[in-house]
Amino acid sequence: MESVHKELLKIENLVVEYTSEDNIIHAVNGIDLDILEGETVGLVGETGAGKTTIAKSILRILPDPPAKICGGKIVFQGTDILQMKEEEIRSIRGRQISMIFQDPMTALNPTITVGKQIAEAVGLHEKLTKSERKQKAIQILEKAGISRERYDDFPHQFSGGMKQRAVIAMALVCSPLLLLADEPTTALDVTIQAQVLQMMSELKKEFHTSVLMITHDLGVVAETCDKVAVIYAGEIIEFGTAEDIFDHAAHPYTLGLFGSLPDLNSENRRLKPISGMMPDPAHLPAGCKFYDRCPHASPKCRNSVPDKRKLGQSHYVRCFYSGGNV
Amino acid sequence: MSTILEAQDLKKYFKTKNGYLHAVDGVSFRIEEGKTLGVVGESGCGKSTLGRIVLHLHESTGGKLFYQGQDITHVNKPRLRQLREDMQIIFQDPFSSLNPRMSVRETIAEPLILNGKERGTDLNNEVDRVMETVGLPQRLADSYPHELDGGRRQRIGIGRALALNPRFIVCDEPVSALDVSIQAQILNLLQDLQEEKKLSYMFITHDLSVVKYISHDIAVMYLGQLVEKAETKALFARPAHPYTKALLSAILLPDIHAKKERIILKGEITSPINPPKGCRFAGRCQYATSRCEEEQKLEEVEKNHFVACCRAKELGM
Repeated sequence: MESVHKELLKIENLVVEYTSEDNIIHAVNGIDLDILEGETVGLVGETGAGKTTIAKSILRILPDPPAKICGGKIVFQGTDILQMKEEEIRSIRGRQISMIFQDPMTALNPTITVGKQIAEAVGLHEKLTKSERKQKAIQILEKAGISRERYDDFPHQFSGGMKQRAVIAMALVCSPLLLLADEPTTALDVTIQAQVLQMMSELKKEFHTSVLMITHDLGVVAETCDKVAVIYAGEIIEFGTAEDIFDHAAHPYTLGLFGSLPDLNSENRRLKPISGMMPDPAHLPAGCKFYDRCPHASPKCRNSVPDKRKLGQSHYVRCFYSGGNV
Repeated sequence: MSTILEAQDLKKYFKTKNGYLHAVDGVSFRIEEGKTLGVVGESGCGKSTLGRIVLHLHESTGGKLFYQGQDITHVNKPRLRQLREDMQIIFQDPFSSLNPRMSVRETIAEPLILNGKERGTDLNNEVDRVMETVGLPQRLADSYPHELDGGRRQRIGIGRALALNPRFIVCDEPVSALDVSIQAQILNLLQDLQEEKKLSYMFITHDLSVVKYISHDIAVMYLGQLVEKAETKALFARPAHPYTKALLSAILLPDIHAKKERIILKGEITSPINPPKGCRFAGRCQYATSRCEEEQKLEEVEKNHFVACCRAKELGM
């Protein structure tokens, strides 16, 4: 574990916009995010907060147009991905950085057997003979808890959980340094989700992979993440270790997210939702983006964007309000 | 307290080319007036089909259905129309369950017009009243679904279901497509409406924390059958069926100190086509024995707590 604290990925001031016919949509507005080796960082936020856009920027697979990376750096192992030539980034995709999506069918070809697809992925990474590739693919399937008899099955013959497990195993087969997991268990049933997360954490340990876990589910975050970034309207409004976020959350939005969840351990029959909804990313307010939903908003919040305020070694919040349980 | 809806041994089989698919296979339950029955289960367990049979959106293959004590298993069209005034449904996906060409006002007015309830200014007033009840501002009356976000769309769905002043609503995963902060708004709304109008709900969901929050009683469904049925508190405190236990242990709590032992189930739900006579969960159950090959009936293990597992008692709850 000598390299645990080495920095793997450093995102600095990333700005991404989408251009539509008559609007510019400000999807990502100056994000900083560090991922260390072997670490799992959760990126938590609601629909449209910019989570997936960040992940796709890292791999440079955003459709351009309409998307445009307008500024910032994404430094991976010392090199800025945004400055790389197409061949360079292509050699990183899948080998050093892999991505899995909510819907496993985005990664599987419906007309080729699952085993063959995995063997193909193996072949891209290592120079092996055909039978070695097959052997390795079978091993991977078994790691994902799928018996070798299913090698010649097509994706549609697999259940949703099996497909997702196969895809995760496939993404990790090349032992990438970083896995971008975009809502990997959102489409799955709870018992299957438990299976998939357990398998993911075993494989992650085995390959010592860092993970960017994109999710809206704080339960998944509590289960898997070392650090957590809470994102709102394209900005990280709070960042810290899992303990910082779960035990000492400071931003009113983070607290609001927790208040919105039905608590299994309490008999309380009333939720405390956040009023209103996220601002239109084409017309973002000038000051704090959370201004009109915030119970602590002051005139200052309306006009100026709060800077990072340090609360602990890695814990920071973008909020002027310092009362409450800070 | 009186029973608003009662199901006895309800069945729904679908014919497929490989045999009959037992979507709902002998389900019995009772919903009291003003209460919520939560129906929990994973995808493919038949919970949505059950909700649809109750509303005659599917005709049942067998069993009996009573509404306020009257047999409604088989009803003619005029009676069905009458029933629909009392029994409504809210769907999961507020994106596909609304007509994209109808404005909010038209959508909510439609059931009122179809049932010949109101017209002219009375109709408009009625629509305004419904919109206010579900928290939709008046200025959105002429908006179309695509202009609104998921939470507001779901409010339209709820408004449409409420327009005829029903007494009973099937809520089929009404918050599953929504973000948590919006989900909480909708859950609170459903609860307020229940208290205000004495509504009864059948709340279908796969989300156990939601179901605990909203339900008075819970029925756990597995492959077309109920495996456990109890009051909410009792079910969470003393789950008795191995499947319920696994399901509860798989919930991920938003709390980093709540690390607990999970029961990770092996395998997947088996095929509902020509299922075995015995316990359908046996293939994934760590406690399965030869006795599980016999048919399992719901038995009362404590007051109002029913379990369909021959080993529940000996394994201790």
